[in-house]
Amino acid sequence: MINVLLVGAPNSGKSALFNRLTGLKHKVANYPGITIDVGSGSLTSNPQVTLWDFPGTYSLSPVSGEERIAIAGLRSALHDSQDALVAMVLDATRLEKGLTYCLQVAREAAQAGKSFVVLLNMMDLIESDSLELDVSGLGTALGVSIYPVSARTAKGIAAVEQALQTGDQNVAPWADTPDALIRGTAQQIGKRFTPKGDLLVRRQALIDQWLLGTVSGGFAFVIIMTLFFQAIFTWAAPLMDGVEAVVIAIGSIMTSVMPEGFLADFVGDAIFGGLGAFLVFVPLVFILTLIIGALEDSGYLARAALICHRPLSLFGLSGKSFVPLLSGVACAIPAIYAARTMSSMQERLLTYVAIPLMPCSARLPVYALLIAILIPNETALGGLIGWQGLAMSAIYFFGISTALLVAAVVNRMGDRDRSGGPFILELPAYRLPASRTIFSAALNRAGHFVRKAGSAIFAVTVVVWFFGYFPNGGEDLSSSWLASIGRFIEPVFSPLGLDWRYGVAIIASFLAREVFVGTLGTIFGIESADADLVPLADQITASGLTVASGAALVVFFTIALQCVSTVALLAREANSARFAVTLMTGYLVLAWVAAFVVYNLAAALLS
Amino acid sequence: MSIPTQPSASTSLWCLAVGESREIVSIEGAKADSAAQRLVDIGFREGQRVTCLMRPGFGAPRVYAVGGATYSLDQQTAICVIVSEESRT
Ligand SMILES: Nc1nc2c(ncn2[C@@H]2O[C@H](COP(=O)(O)OP(=O)(O)OP(=O)(O)O)[C@@H](O)[C@H]2O)c(=O)[nH]1
Ligand SMILES: [Mg+2]
Repeated sequence: MINVLLVGAPNSGKSALFNRLTGLKHKVANYPGITIDVGSGSLTSNPQVTLWDFPGTYSLSPVSGEERIAIAGLRSALHDSQDALVAMVLDATRLEKGLTYCLQVAREAAQAGKSFVVLLNMMDLIESDSLELDVSGLGTALGVSIYPVSARTAKGIAAVEQALQTGDQNVAPWADTPDALIRGTAQQIGKRFTPKGDLLVRRQALIDQWLLGTVSGGFAFVIIMTLFFQAIFTWAAPLMDGVEAVVIAIGSIMTSVMPEGFLADFVGDAIFGGLGAFLVFVPLVFILTLIIGALEDSGYLARAALICHRPLSLFGLSGKSFVPLLSGVACAIPAIYAARTMSSMQERLLTYVAIPLMPCSARLPVYALLIAILIPNETALGGLIGWQGLAMSAIYFFGISTALLVAAVVNRMGDRDRSGGPFILELPAYRLPASRTIFSAALNRAGHFVRKAGSAIFAVTVVVWFFGYFPNGGEDLSSSWLASIGRFIEPVFSPLGLDWRYGVAIIASFLAREVFVGTLGTIFGIESADADLVPLADQITASGLTVASGAALVVFFTIALQCVSTVALLAREANSARFAVTLMTGYLVLAWVAAFVVYNLAAALLS
Repeated sequence: MSIPTQPSASTSLWCLAVGESREIVSIEGAKADSAAQRLVDIGFREGQRVTCLMRPGFGAPRVYAVGGATYSLDQQTAICVIVSEESRT
């Protein structure tokens, strides 16, 4: 058994190398501080070798959560009796930034008698720009074995694999070097071996001139974010129509070949009505992850964080909140983890307050369904603007501004020092996104979404169907068991203009928000006398949901914190169950009150 | 002109114009000590040359290149980095 510890500065390609060597799919992105926990996997070519992917760190003095985890993890691995080989990953294009940490770790490893090698990553960039880097000279200066490699092109990977399997690597010669000398030496070595000229910095500055310009930077930010949201819907729409057509086609065939009765009704109502209604929205999640992935790997996120720093600090947040908040547009869980990289505890807590209000992808099916019902599928300005896409953008805007406002209010309530923590962020080089990686990450995520939400939806639809179908065999939904239960809870929802069917779906959605769509699909499936399968949106439209009630539903889902895993993770990461429970109850009450107000306003305006 | 300038021969990083390049003289106690330590760790050390790359408007954090990498620092952090006042020739 050999343990290989992949450590190094943030954004140097540790996770990319890890994925190459293990065949696993840890998250890789062009932003410092992506890996927030130590993960492991075994070497593809030799399962006896276990690799450990660490969060990035600039030195042995941590300032944020994931760095503390990295350093504690490293120290405990070094002082473990098991064999360990430290593999320090250095970014060849930004040599100097990793060298202090490199020598510091080399010293600790030497003191613990563990061997040490350097993996000089990103060599593809050095080669493509024909920069000169004396690799063996660098190895000699550091006194360790060094392996030039590229995680992107896989060049040099075979040699690395070989090296990691032979445990007989050197112990680095820095065991007795004091810290001051380490820092000085790192600087000297960096100066000596950094490729001459500042080609890479200049190339990056050329793009930054536009993306960070006082005026052009603001424009670019707005355009990129608008494209981001528009693309989700315009690109996903044809995929969604495709999935819907397939689901309905298969469902029709299935129900037509089955003998009429109980089983055919179950398959038609629960499986295709319930689960199928949800599957239609999976392409949205796929496209969303794809676009976020492309944005993350381009290097733009760090620029967006910079641009947002001042505006966000008005709300008590910081530029470092940007990436967690943006991740919250996909899902609150990775967003909460991402907030670990924030060094100021106060800003981090406020970010936790805002994250559950970000329009996460679990809400997307609900929004998309309601929009399909309430907003005509028409375009204006010669096809330039689709009303449905615009409505979706408006909902997102509403969610995001609520998140910021609530953060600001909470910030005002606690009158602590309001000047905010220091903002220090590395700006990575711009890079063409690695299309294969982000594509497979998006597929992965969509698959995960289907499995997780799908199983919850399946379980709920079966239960809902059972109670809705009996005791009268689907003849009359309004006298079913489900209706009796529904009428019991109806008083809570009737002030929002919603009858018991929506009440049941809302209650069920506390298991997972997507369940809302599946539950409604099942209920309307039982209700429709039609033997043919009809898209859920058409059924609800036909049943006459008013605009005011629809708006109330949207508002309720935008604010309510209906996700058990989010609450559990918040309690853990904020280290306070009270914090998490207060947030959940607070958002629930706020959601109901806001929905009530919107329903009554809309009803008054439209009557 | 030979009017004597102020006795201090240094200024803070925040004052640099775009494209200007200076040598770091010292890191003054940042508000949080961890910030000063972090600055040193990422390369803002005595004797290093640092270049200002971008000054986005509205008080946004600015962009600096040091040791081949680029970082963005907000005002409260950048004023802790003292750089040499260079005579223009
Ligand atoms: N061109 C090129 N890009 C690379 C290479 N290795 C990694 N990258 C890119 O560098 C960025 C950072 O890669 P990660 O693997 O996430 O870096 P990390 O060291 O794990 O970063 P943290 O987890 O944040 O500490 C991503 O955009 C990768 O696609 C390489 O060899 N060549
Ligand atoms: Mg990583």
